[in-house]
Amino acid sequence: MTAETIIQSLASGLLMGLLYGLIAVGLALIFGLMDVVNFAHGEFLMLAMYVTFFLFTFFAIDPLLSAPLAAAALFVLGAVVYLVIVRFAMRAKANVGMVQIFATFGLAIVMRGLAQLFFTADYRSVPNSWLGGKTISVAGIFLPQPQLFGALVAIAAFGGLYLFINRTDFGRALEATREDPGAVALVGIDKNRVFALGWGLGAALVGLAGAIMASFFYIYPDVGASFALIAYVTVALGGFGSVFGAFAGGIIVGLVEATTALVLPPSLKSVGIYAVYLLVVFIRPRGLFGSM
Amino acid sequence: MTITRRDVLLGAAATAALMPLAARAQTSEVVIGATYPLSGAGAQVGVDAQRAFETAVDIINNDQDFDLPLAKGLGLPGLGGAKIRLVYADTQGDPQKGRAEAERLITQEKVCAILGSYQSAVAVTISQICERYQTPFLSADNSSPSLHRRGLKYYFRASPHDEMFSAGMFDFLDAMKKKGAKAETLALFHEDTIFGTDSANAQTKLATERGYKIVADIKYRANSPSLSAEVQQLKAANADVLLPSSYTTDGILLVKTMAELGYKPNAIVAQAAGFSEKALYDAVGDKLEGAITRGSFSLDLAAKRPMVGKINDLFKAKSGKDLNDNTSRQFMAMIIMADAINRAKSTDGEKIRDALAATEMSGEQTIMPWKRVKFDEMGQNNDADPVLLQYVGGKFVTIFPSQAAVADAIWPMK
Amino acid sequence: MDKSFTERRRRELLVAACLTVAAALVPLFVKNPNVQNIMILTLMFGALSQSWNILSGYCGQISLGHALYFGLGAYTTTLLFTKFGVPPWFGMLAGGAISALIALALGYPCFRLGGHYFAIATIVIAEIGLLLIQNWEWAGAALGIEMPVRGDSWLKFQFARSKLPYFYFALALACVAWFVTWWLEDSKWGYWWRAVKDNPDAAQSLGVVVFDSKMGAAAVSAFLVAVGGSFYAMYVSYIDPGSVMGFQFSLLMALPAVLGGIGTLWGPLLGAVILIPLTELTRSYIGGSGRGVDLIVYGSLIVVIALARPEGLIGLFSRRKGASR
Repeated sequence: MTAETIIQSLASGLLMGLLYGLIAVGLALIFGLMDVVNFAHGEFLMLAMYVTFFLFTFFAIDPLLSAPLAAAALFVLGAVVYLVIVRFAMRAKANVGMVQIFATFGLAIVMRGLAQLFFTADYRSVPNSWLGGKTISVAGIFLPQPQLFGALVAIAAFGGLYLFINRTDFGRALEATREDPGAVALVGIDKNRVFALGWGLGAALVGLAGAIMASFFYIYPDVGASFALIAYVTVALGGFGSVFGAFAGGIIVGLVEATTALVLPPSLKSVGIYAVYLLVVFIRPRGLFGSM
Repeated sequence: MTITRRDVLLGAAATAALMPLAARAQTSEVVIGATYPLSGAGAQVGVDAQRAFETAVDIINNDQDFDLPLAKGLGLPGLGGAKIRLVYADTQGDPQKGRAEAERLITQEKVCAILGSYQSAVAVTISQICERYQTPFLSADNSSPSLHRRGLKYYFRASPHDEMFSAGMFDFLDAMKKKGAKAETLALFHEDTIFGTDSANAQTKLATERGYKIVADIKYRANSPSLSAEVQQLKAANADVLLPSSYTTDGILLVKTMAELGYKPNAIVAQAAGFSEKALYDAVGDKLEGAITRGSFSLDLAAKRPMVGKINDLFKAKSGKDLNDNTSRQFMAMIIMADAINRAKSTDGEKIRDALAATEMSGEQTIMPWKRVKFDEMGQNNDADPVLLQYVGGKFVTIFPSQAAVADAIWPMK
Repeated sequence: MDKSFTERRRRELLVAACLTVAAALVPLFVKNPNVQNIMILTLMFGALSQSWNILSGYCGQISLGHALYFGLGAYTTTLLFTKFGVPPWFGMLAGGAISALIALALGYPCFRLGGHYFAIATIVIAEIGLLLIQNWEWAGAALGIEMPVRGDSWLKFQFARSKLPYFYFALALACVAWFVTWWLEDSKWGYWWRAVKDNPDAAQSLGVVVFDSKMGAAAVSAFLVAVGGSFYAMYVSYIDPGSVMGFQFSLLMALPAVLGGIGTLWGPLLGAVILIPLTELTRSYIGGSGRGVDLIVYGSLIVVIALARPEGLIGLFSRRKGASR
């Protein structure tokens, strides 16, 4: 176990953690907005990867450029999912949380089935993107360019989101609607519109993540599953309702995962993440920065 | 069977769907079942398997001029020219579901034999249920060594298992060492499910027996989002030979991560799985020039045995891919099973089982580089010789054993 | 208690008894093993979901990690049987006891957590359990453990051909789970839970009492689910970490209750009767194409039911009967 190994693992963990944060922040936004955990979040990611793949394969658009397009496509998807499915799920008089979980869980299965139907189960990847496969070496530590770019996008996205929520009218409407959906109607804010846009925004963020990941990860219908659980733990660790928490949570998860893989057999590295989560919530039942 | 109201509720669809099938006479067709993952993580393999079986069934049912059992002539002559009909079932990679499907195939679809199943865990339960119903189960592509050692009469496996494969890999390493190649230290990189565990166990045992030093034994979680920490440890260990046992997804990620972290192993000798799948080489083939994998099948056998090439073309027409480690074994499994049914002259499970036990097929009559197909008393074919293939210039080249090799190994890999 | 309440209670018991007798007669007429398998799975998931419902439906502590107890039950029974020759009947009790104890141990720190945090905590705890077993050589690790089946035996609860004993066991388990739920509804615990649901602020002042009852619910729920796991192990004769402790299993225990009516007496059973045959039939008859169509059908139906009847399908029945709840 050399110093180089440790530093390299931590660096890789940090980059990956920022990406986890980007994936999680969309989930946190949706949750923070309306207390709904989107169980199809992993499938949103999967779809974004496919969108990027097809834009690359048929139109030769590099994932860097198609990231905004993927985000836009996912924005539409998110809004539609809210309007067509989640809006009705929220009408349940009892156990609203559970109904939403299962409605989105059903949606996740449908999306996987559709992906298999239209794209087949074959594994895809984007072979020759601009950044794909390239690495920067800084003092002997390798930083893969796609992940590095992803980390920068994550930071930028988080910053942008923070400003959006705290400095714009719409952002404030989001907050207000979250706190008191009934009252906002009195001020002329259409709750459904706000929620739909919120879902769109959350999905768009995951769309960005998917586009970046398409340049270095493999793509197939079930690819979202392994990221989904990490995303939920990340959001919970950071605290539901806190966008900053999701971001910080991502970094922590990435670092903990890397550290655990050095100390324990790597097949147990998730145990490190889970243990940290449990430790945090036992001490702070609302996560690190949670407000709900 | 008395049909009660409850039965109608639960089985109406089933009964209705089966009416036309039940009406067909037994003797004009032979029904064989195939249990594979057709959705979920293993779906790609399952779908490819369907194409492999269909290729075999086409050859059997129609007249083809190959020196392959049952290729000539229509259908199974021993049963009056009866044709084979395939029925598929989706196991979803789950042992309980696989068993339920196998039972359905046996009792409702009335299959006389079952082929399966890719995941060894699912093979455990399917073979159990087949034993109960005295229906032969031929493991087309399960590699877990324990499967044939459970005292089952109706279990057969024509292809090698992990211990045989690993022994082949180590025979190759021994040969390379004799030629002066640097192959003292090994790094095992294996996923944590049944496949990786069996593979690592076999490799560890052989390494100890044959005097190799394992400098890294990395067990990783299958379908991990990131393998950076794991690869960093491989890089630090810097073994002479990297021995990955990974499925396609992890294989792709492994190779990409190695490139990202600037780790180029001296040599890769893989336990097939992902490393014999086209999808992996489509994704990262450019970084795998010179990678070696064990296999059951080599396409360059076509040079010596033209029917291999022609059959590959037939398969490629259906699937868009060349035959590989899995699909070739699936193809052969269908041929072997059909041959046994033909010799049994019956669709009775016990008679087919006895015919399978008496199989003596020369390797020359197959598409595989095997010596022959002959099952021992546990149902294992010990003459299925694995080969070692090297990925050179976009193709797989057989490099070992010498009787099958068409070229020397390039060592170290470029 | 007013008369209509006791009458309703008695009626529920009567209905349950009739259904049990009817169900018990079915396998004598339906001999198709596939249909029998679907029925066994339906009863098993009904029992599991009913047990899950005790903690998550009545107590409101939504657990998405109950697969942990299922797996513990399965592994305890299997290990005791294969390594020490302990008959599964004892192994089942041992598994149940261990699961109950672990539920109590986990409940202590976890019940302080709010809804979503609790749910995620349960998910990760189950995952930890899975990973630990998957890396534990003695317990078979990833290779799983196969139960050697050597002839029929009631002591070993093994039957080579007939599914009837398994059916009746599953039916018995479903009855027990239902009965425990029924009994709890009219118990001290049941009253606390209803009080808390009607008036969440009251939970504060009821404090310790509520906490104790939740712990009790957790233990009972875990015990029953573990017995279900033991049953599964004996029925399938082979277990590996993924098939008995996976997250998908946790969801599958919760889904029937959600569809049928979470926190209700009949909801989980109703949900199981609809969901399980649906799952099996879509896979068997549409899954063979390898094109994911069965997933699309299955998922769509879940979405439709979840949306059309958010309070659960049991709502259809109570409205018709005119009974108030």
